[in-house]
Amino acid sequence: MTNKDGKIPPGCGTGAGTGSGPHDEVTCRKLILEFLLDFESGAMPAEERTELERHFDECPPCGIFLTSYRATGKTLRMLKPSEVPADLALAVVQFVRSRSGKS
Amino acid sequence: MSEKNESDKTDLDLVRGIKSGDSQAFEDMVARYHARVYSLSYGVLRNAEDAEESTQDAFLTLYRKIDTFDESKKFFSWFYRVALNTAYSRARRRPPVKTVAIEDYLPRFDSDGHFASMSLPDGALAIDDEAALRELATRAEGFIAELPPAYRDVIWMNDVEGMSANEIAEVLDISIPAFKSRLHRARLYVRQRLSEISSPPQAIAAEAAS
Repeated sequence: MTNKDGKIPPGCGTGAGTGSGPHDEVTCRKLILEFLLDFESGAMPAEERTELERHFDECPPCGIFLTSYRATGKTLRMLKPSEVPADLALAVVQFVRSRSGKS
Repeated sequence: MSEKNESDKTDLDLVRGIKSGDSQAFEDMVARYHARVYSLSYGVLRNAEDAEESTQDAFLTLYRKIDTFDESKKFFSWFYRVALNTAYSRARRRPPVKTVAIEDYLPRFDSDGHFASMSLPDGALAIDDEAALRELATRAEGFIAELPPAYRDVIWMNDVEGMSANEIAEVLDISIPAFKSRLHRARLYVRQRLSEISSPPQAIAAEAAS
């Protein structure tokens, strides 16, 4: 896996990295399958996040993947809970009354 | 003793009211939860009429079974499980819906951890404008419906309903790591399917960053 300069990006499946953090052997697989959710949620400590950002910056496939993952999130946020029928609450109360003989 | 408005009453206030036969407490509970239960039911059933009937059934179960609710627990978790089980029960009465094998759509990697060449992301997920985004959202809803229920329900509750990780884990009785794994895999599936139908990638970077 090479970047635009034809070099293998640091941390991109090479085992390279800072050598000090839990992600010092971040492969594309680990980044995409294990760390991406926390990376995007903002729940990740800054130091770890910085290392993953470097991977994304220097590894084109992961960078492209991140872009499309973010676009997916943007698309999903467009979805709204289905429109609730206007008279549903009344219908529920009447239904339960009819079935229970109470309420 | 001062009377509380409906909005001031806690779930537990309403539960105790229902248990004591207070019909107003039941109506207040319906007012508080019917929309969320309907939406939750719709996520499972994908049909407005079925979701409405399932919502009615869920509240009937609430009314009949409220005495079994353990007041030391969170009401919404108990009731959402009631609502989900009601929707699942209704779904089982319908012809089975074919779901995807999610593993077939996850990115693939070589033994050294790099993207496998067959799985290289091509970036083909473009959002040119609001209309395109809405179209993609409609397709995304369809893709969510194809997911196995364990994944479908998590992504629906989190990304559409806006429920928190803790709420979803409680309702589904799963761990937070299990929740995160299911949510991520569901999103990866939707990402892959959207990429397959979308147009070239140039427009997306700026749009997604906005």
